[in-house]
Amino acid sequence: MADHNDPNAVNSIFSDIAISAADLYDFFGFPSADTDGGEKVVLALTFASIPSTGVFDTDMLYRMQISGDPRVAGPGDDENTLKGLLRYFDALKEKYLGPTTKASEIRVTFDQSQRATVKFIGFPGGSFSTVVDTNQVRSIQTPDGYSIKAYIGGRDDAFFNDLTGFFRSINYAPQFYHVPHTMTGSRELKIPKTLIELEGNHLFNRDPNDPDWGYHGKKRELPPGPLTWNGDKFARDANGNFRFVYDGRDCQAGININAIILEIPLRFITTAPERDRIVNCWGESWVLKAADKIETIPDHPFWLEHPWALIDAIKLDDELKKYKLVDTDGQPFADAALSEREDNRQLGANNFWLAPHFIKRLAHLGWGFGPSITALGLQTSFDHDNSPVSVHKTYSLVTAAFPRVKKTLFQRLNMPDDSWNPKGLDIPLRRPFEIFVPNVCAIDMDTTGTWPYGRRLEDQVATRFLSMFLDHTAELNGKKYHIELLNDQSLWDSAPIEPKTVPNPKKNDKEFLTDFPYLAEPWQ
Amino acid sequence: MGAKQTDFDIELAQINSRIAELEGDALQLPVDRTKITKLAYLQYQRASLTGNLAELDIAERTLDEAIQHLGPDGDLYFLKANIHFKLHRLADVQRDLEASPDLSQSPPGRALKADLDFQQGRYDAARSEYETLIEEERTWDTLARLAYFNFKMGDFETADRLYDEAVDELTAKEMRHYSWVELQRGVVDLSRGNYAQTREHYQRAERAYSGHWMVEEHLAELLGAEGKNDEAEAMYRRVVARVPRPDFQQALGELYLSMGKTSDANDVLEKAHAAFLESAQRGEVHYYHHLADLYADVFENGPEAVKWAQKDLELRRNFSTLAAMAWAYYRAGEFSKALEMMNESLASGVKDARLFRCAGMIHKALSPNGTADRYLQMAAAINPNYENFHVHR
Repeated sequence: MADHNDPNAVNSIFSDIAISAADLYDFFGFPSADTDGGEKVVLALTFASIPSTGVFDTDMLYRMQISGDPRVAGPGDDENTLKGLLRYFDALKEKYLGPTTKASEIRVTFDQSQRATVKFIGFPGGSFSTVVDTNQVRSIQTPDGYSIKAYIGGRDDAFFNDLTGFFRSINYAPQFYHVPHTMTGSRELKIPKTLIELEGNHLFNRDPNDPDWGYHGKKRELPPGPLTWNGDKFARDANGNFRFVYDGRDCQAGININAIILEIPLRFITTAPERDRIVNCWGESWVLKAADKIETIPDHPFWLEHPWALIDAIKLDDELKKYKLVDTDGQPFADAALSEREDNRQLGANNFWLAPHFIKRLAHLGWGFGPSITALGLQTSFDHDNSPVSVHKTYSLVTAAFPRVKKTLFQRLNMPDDSWNPKGLDIPLRRPFEIFVPNVCAIDMDTTGTWPYGRRLEDQVATRFLSMFLDHTAELNGKKYHIELLNDQSLWDSAPIEPKTVPNPKKNDKEFLTDFPYLAEPWQ
Repeated sequence: MGAKQTDFDIELAQINSRIAELEGDALQLPVDRTKITKLAYLQYQRASLTGNLAELDIAERTLDEAIQHLGPDGDLYFLKANIHFKLHRLADVQRDLEASPDLSQSPPGRALKADLDFQQGRYDAARSEYETLIEEERTWDTLARLAYFNFKMGDFETADRLYDEAVDELTAKEMRHYSWVELQRGVVDLSRGNYAQTREHYQRAERAYSGHWMVEEHLAELLGAEGKNDEAEAMYRRVVARVPRPDFQQALGELYLSMGKTSDANDVLEKAHAAFLESAQRGEVHYYHHLADLYADVFENGPEAVKWAQKDLELRRNFSTLAAMAWAYYRAGEFSKALEMMNESLASGVKDARLFRCAGMIHKALSPNGTADRYLQMAAAINPNYENFHVHR
């Protein structure tokens, strides 16, 4: 019938975009409490339980990249300049992407019988491969005599947060409205981001008559008219209280994930564990390319005929050439909050080129969160010129954004107490720019591995992320601000706000296990 | 024990099942946006998969109902625009795209607008937009669009590279799309007379997504081109039995003619002819091109060929409709008009063996100045077998 080219005839157009097994959720990493036979590090990559909990997609390849490195100080405080920061990012780029650097890695694929093939590549003891059963704790013996614990299977989702509250804070319309896919400019609406409700922000303020709006997939029709806000103040109730955009609900409650959980001896990762106290790691999901699904094709013609087409990809080995990188995960919120949820920015460790974007995005967020923090009577690290209300502002020039976020970027994030540093070592407090670029989970083996020195299961990282916008040189009740301040119920009890709750739940909906694999059993 | 289900069977069953789940309440008031959009999409997908164009009407009715209740939603209009594009209702496509500013500015809307530009002979605009879209985001379908553009313009190397890149974007979750791209690559090779490579692509398409009539239909044409007429006939008969569309009946009829089976040919060609005319009487426009071809090539009825080619040309003035018009004039013995149309078609920059063959024939009818031979040589340079069996795509 058609005498024309018609890809739309086979294109999926806009069917519902299904959750994919390639959707990575979280990367956890912390030193194991079990030090029998030497130090070990726990790594857990979690992702959507597709096709179902404990059942894995045979077209997927999951990859963990791991690099043991010494703890090094970042640029000194005298280098807190834009130039110094960009120089630091360049140096990191060389370290992660340079010709001599290559992380070790673990790859996991699944066969039709749901057994997992686990490949260990480029470790000091060599490379090897093994096959393990899924949904069971297994011990993998390495050629150099170490034992690695492995659990690859379904678990309860270890992430706990009020995701809807976060989306309300950034005016993310698809969480609350049916936004047509063609309305690509109507996702984060051009309304100031905020931690407390804006007066007259009818598009996102909570509806007391419909408290579940935005939760459990409950959405409304997108109203006609400009999707903006023209107010000039924060909303207050009759008692003069602000209204929190969060209510502390756990949106992940009752949800399962699939996971790859490993407990690995540090000596397997590095030959110098005394020197290499940082384990940098991140996860990736790859999906088999269509051409390689057809086994009878001996070689993919693309690589044979056009090796110049994708220069970076040429670095890949034969196995990875058959797959397409879909998602990466290192730091929580590195993509969701700091990259405006643009999928092509999910670059994992290789996010150096985004450094200028990171600074501009942080300034954009700061204009929203900074004034809300000030309104609550707290000190903010963001320079918002004493704005009485949140402002929607974007930057095209990093040089204009940088002065606003300088303190946010360079301040050392205080910890609530010394428990994170049980050995009492001289470990510098981490700074936001070090945490998010590169986008890796950097586990400090001399700490407990609590965020930002790794990520423990019980860490409330959503609330800790917000603490970046607090001024960590300020004090409250004689104590310096710290990353857990916003998770302190007493703070909210005395704040002029309703509801009087911490932003996100304080604990997971299921108790974590004290032993491997640590994540709770899946929900039935 | 029954035969193993094909990928086609499995997907069609899933679509049917999902439609059955939705049909009950998707149209109930108040209209649920998610359900009604999903239903229209599934109906469109079923029509595309089965090749049953009548089902596009069902999808369009669902869309109209949805738009009535939900307003000018970009996603709904995008689906509507795709239906209209499939049916050659290009003015409607333009209106659909304009109905929602969000749609016309979105990447899928822009890609469809570029397709429209291509169909209406605005080649530079089409190419430019495809290239811009690819620069913004490399999606398999835009790469395939630009590949097709280059194929038609005779840059086979670039087309091949772009198809390679399109394939490289496709994952194991998109095997039907991959199969479709392989068919397009086969068409490129077939147009150059590379039958072995064509077969490889078609076989790969079948392995990627088994049981699709579209693969059989392409294979049938290849068999016909290779002169394997009995196999081609058997395959076409299967295709027509599965998808009783007049364009496939036309292809079978023309194969019969090439085999000297005049009686069988007349039988199916008359059926095709009647169906094409019925479609036109219903106000449909998507078979004009076939009517022009049928009258010109099979019935050798110049005036009727001119009539239908003119109607098609009024809808979309592109190299293909201009060439059909030229050929119709040729059949009508109006060689000067034929040449005028052909020259305009050739000015598009398209390089196609059958187009050059028509140009050669028209020049031959006009004068013995050697231009005819030059065009026939150009046709042979692209495809030494350009006189072999082919269908009108």
